[in-house]
Amino acid sequence: MPRPPKPPLMQPSVTVLLFGQLREAAGWERRELALNDAGDPPATPAALWRQLHLEGLGSPWRVAVNHHFVPPHAVLRPGDEVAFLPPISGG
Amino acid sequence: MPCCGPATRSRSCPPSAVAERQADLRIRLWNGTFDPLANLAAWQEELPGESSPAAAEAHFIGRVRNTTAAGEPLEALELEHYPGMTELQIKRLAAACARRHGLAAVRVDHRVGRIAPGEAIVLVAVRADRRGPAQRALMELLEAIKGEAPFWKREWSAGRGRWVGNTPLAGG
Repeated sequence: MPRPPKPPLMQPSVTVLLFGQLREAAGWERRELALNDAGDPPATPAALWRQLHLEGLGSPWRVAVNHHFVPPHAVLRPGDEVAFLPPISGG
Repeated sequence: MPCCGPATRSRSCPPSAVAERQADLRIRLWNGTFDPLANLAAWQEELPGESSPAAAEAHFIGRVRNTTAAGEPLEALELEHYPGMTELQIKRLAAACARRHGLAAVRVDHRVGRIAPGEAIVLVAVRADRRGPAQRALMELLEAIKGEAPFWKREWSAGRGRWVGNTPLAGG
């Protein structure tokens, strides 16, 4: 019996989300970004911010990974959802 | 700094004698209008009554102003949120506040999307055993939501939108 074809190897990646004025200034709201295979240096939200050329927008006020606030130098893992958040104004 | 953040404890927030009680937390985001008084009445009906020692409630209803922060006529307030995280974060804030004050129940209703002047934007209600914890918890949870739950406001006036920052407590 012939073997079924192998599924294509999934590149380790993270999803990046922008909100509010950050999204409008950047002109996009969601991107899938491949992670460095070697993991050296480790991927962090701060590194992604530079990699995505977002420094011109200043600094994000907060960062969330998988719906939890994290510091900008938290180490990311494949499949993480990274959200860059402008200043919050709720209520 | 809000008192109800996940890792903070203020001297103004003494733990209640019933702090270990599991609070009833009900969080809901609304894409359309909601009637805060009807929701409040429904919440009171649904909660256990006579069997509960909680005898004090504090409530807050916030509505959209009819002017912008700059004093111009407001057409609408747009409220963006982070689906999934916003609900979760309000629940975390409510749970932390409930633990700190020994609340029996918390209800938070919050609008998202485009909201007309005069419409309700937020309802926060808490139930506790005494008026002190109820009033303190209400104020602190409101401030926590304003500063720690991912919402972003944009005022629309004369066809133009402007993102706004958070309002200080004194300015409402």
